Amino acid sequence: MKSTDSSGAVLSANSRLRMAYRVFKGAFFFGRKGLIIWDSWEMWVMQIVITPIAQIGFFAFLSIYLNYPSSVTQYIVIGNAIQSMSFSAVFAVANITSQDKWQGTLPSTMVTPANRVALFIGRAWFQVLLSALIAAAGLVYAAGLFGVSFASADFAGVAVVVLLTSVAMISFGLLISAVGLYMRTALIVANIFLFVTLLLSGVNFPVSALPGWLQPVSWTIPLTYGTEAIRMAIAGSSLSALLPVLGEEALDGLIVMAIGYFLFTGFESLSRKTGRFEEY
Amino acid sequence: MGSLDDLTPGKRTEGLLGHKGQVIKACVVLTAKLFFADPQWIIPSIIAPFIFTLVAFFLFGGQAASGSFLLYLVLGSGLMGMWGTTIYGSSNSIGFDRWNGTMEATLAAPIPLSWIALGRVLFNTFEGVINALFILAIGLVWFQVGFSLVSPGLFLLASVSTFLSLSAFGLLMCTVILLSRKGGFITNSMEIPVYIATGTMFPVSILPLAALPFAFLLAPTWGIEAIRLSALPGYVGLVTNYWTDMAILAVETVAYLALAFVLFKRVEAYAKRNGTLEEY
Amino acid sequence: MSTPRPDPNHAVEVRGLTREYTTRSFFGGVTKVTKALDGIDFTVTKGELFGLIGPNGAGKTTTIKILTTLLTQTAGEAYILGLDVRKDLYEIRRRIGIVFGGERGLYNRVSALDNLHYFSDLYGVDPTVARSRIPELLKAVGLADRADERVEKYSRGMKQRLHIAKALIHDPELLFLDEPTIGLDPGGARDIRNMIRDMKKQGKTILLTTHYMFEAEELCQRVAVISKGKIVALDTPAELKKGVRDIAVIELRTYGATADYVDRLKQLPNVVRVVAELDSEVQTIRVQTPLGADLLSQVVSALPPDAKIIDRTIKEPTLEDAYLRLVEE
Repeated sequence: MKSTDSSGAVLSANSRLRMAYRVFKGAFFFGRKGLIIWDSWEMWVMQIVITPIAQIGFFAFLSIYLNYPSSVTQYIVIGNAIQSMSFSAVFAVANITSQDKWQGTLPSTMVTPANRVALFIGRAWFQVLLSALIAAAGLVYAAGLFGVSFASADFAGVAVVVLLTSVAMISFGLLISAVGLYMRTALIVANIFLFVTLLLSGVNFPVSALPGWLQPVSWTIPLTYGTEAIRMAIAGSSLSALLPVLGEEALDGLIVMAIGYFLFTGFESLSRKTGRFEEY
Repeated sequence: MGSLDDLTPGKRTEGLLGHKGQVIKACVVLTAKLFFADPQWIIPSIIAPFIFTLVAFFLFGGQAASGSFLLYLVLGSGLMGMWGTTIYGSSNSIGFDRWNGTMEATLAAPIPLSWIALGRVLFNTFEGVINALFILAIGLVWFQVGFSLVSPGLFLLASVSTFLSLSAFGLLMCTVILLSRKGGFITNSMEIPVYIATGTMFPVSILPLAALPFAFLLAPTWGIEAIRLSALPGYVGLVTNYWTDMAILAVETVAYLALAFVLFKRVEAYAKRNGTLEEY
Repeated sequence: MSTPRPDPNHAVEVRGLTREYTTRSFFGGVTKVTKALDGIDFTVTKGELFGLIGPNGAGKTTTIKILTTLLTQTAGEAYILGLDVRKDLYEIRRRIGIVFGGERGLYNRVSALDNLHYFSDLYGVDPTVARSRIPELLKAVGLADRADERVEKYSRGMKQRLHIAKALIHDPELLFLDEPTIGLDPGGARDIRNMIRDMKKQGKTILLTTHYMFEAEELCQRVAVISKGKIVALDTPAELKKGVRDIAVIELRTYGATADYVDRLKQLPNVVRVVAELDSEVQTIRVQTPLGADLLSQVVSALPPDAKIIDRTIKEPTLEDAYLRLVEE
């Protein structure tokens, strides 16, 4: 990923745009190739088949053991089905920054004067599709293996919820990448975050069951809106009925992305000062 | 710079078992030092089980109020944590040397690889004990679990036996991972399924019939049964007899060990044929 | 035919050693066999400092791996201290020490002391002996005052000295040093060479592989030159140099010389070989020629106008010149 006009010359808006596009294009392909965790078919099987089924199964069996009515079990199954995208959305995106560090490509990426948003969106597109695919697979297992009924579901609504949640969760992944730029590795933070969503995002029980002081934290995570919206869509709410919660999710996603961007640029100048790009 | 004159002449540790014991001890110590040198250890050992416990606590809801249920939950989370560190730790126990660049130095040692791995796996399983104790502490302090055991002596025996069976399983995993070259896939795919199949959070009797053979072949399933029988008043288990569970646990653990040592011979033969275990 | 028993005075005895690597294509159909070692023979007597030199991929590492019991040969015999590398591997491993070149082979996140304690246990050193031997070794390699520091903070040279201490921990009779000075600065490399001389003085047998010919010339009693899996010469450095008695070397130090100039030199009549190091600001160019000083005027006149000669000397051929002739023929 080389930018040819990195000289200090003042660039016209047009050439800035062209440069951003070039960076985006480079990053676009990097996004597909750069993730070593996806380089073998076993990893696909693991992420799309084994892990979602196992995770849904674990919590579903637990609710069966606790003699909960099937409505509760279904609640849990749907929550975990959509949560299973978190690995690809958050962990894998955070992993990009770590890999840049490992491969020593981070400084060369950072000095490109082009638009960093373009760079990261370019890298994240693949994760958006993948996360949506994993969540969709999770819903298929929910229906096929765990008896969740989609009889009254609004499929357009389901599709919109899944895609929007993927995009919004990736913005969370980018936020964590930004933190990872300054810390030794983003992976620790990302890993902790994965577990935290199980607790805070209405995956296994409603947010209202959490202590009151913890509930506002839940609503900073886009997934929390996603779990609510997906249950509504499966129960038959139309797209227009979903709009309020989807609007909140989109807003949350944008705020998270904005924070991520500012952290990113802030940490970048901090990193330049302290020379921490390649530390580890 | 000093000179190499006047060094104390080398002398071998006497007796064959003396050397083996020395290797196991050295590997436990080194693994412990490496473990504490890397801050990532808090994820599988503290954070993940802590959050799982919290999720389970909320899921148990009102039922958690009754004392033995809470103890059940804490025991289950602790066992899950031990399982997690066994699975991840054992795959790393020799695999670590691959990316650390010490594989040749390890293979060149005058001792079969299985003894080196055994020492490392023992510590990896012990990490799980640290983590189980941590969860117990959360249970005692935060949730005020009454820690009154049916039979403390039998509980201790069952816990130590389960610890050993997890180590034996970890050793077996280590060979499978070295031979298959798909470490990441195997460990990530196994984690939640073994939580389910060994009945960490709910008895295996609620699983579909098809899953039971796997459950019965996993030695820790029997260890967990024995632990519950010796800890929880009125617990109705699978075979409902502590000593039957312990006998099956012992037989399966020995079988794991025997199989692991046979497979280690194959690992070493592979390494000698190719001059390395490094080619992934 | 029964194989003759190994000579007890030989630390290393190698007969017809062959190693093939078979690579199969994905569908198992086509197999490709590459010979990394093609029937080599050599012996190292006890107490000798023996060098194994050759270009990358010539078979040096394969040889070392077989002799240190890390790899099995496909044919031939190898005996270490009279023991068969295929059968007595654990006994052999207890009696040999290995220094791998480069950064590999240490646990960087723990201290030097931790590393030495670990490896001394792995090699079955009696713990009471280890307690005195480890600090002595750390002192001998000049790491005593930083023994508690994490190895990741060490310089390349310090790591390499720790490697030496690690290889000596169990007091081995025979040492394999695989490119021990690779990547070290001149001072660090000199320290290592002094340690190698020290080890030799103590009666250790040493098998050394190196890229640096002056190092082999300076240290080794005998040198085997290995090329394309075969030993093409085996003798003392002095005898090997006789192979290039017919030539002299014009050594130039230049400023501004380019690859073009080197190519032009190669075209000159009576030039046997040109070896150039062009990477640094001052270039070193060695021209091998039977004419000696008589070629000098042509060498100078071929120089491009913007380049300068800093100095020029006519030298006796070195082991390097002999080596280059051997591996290129």
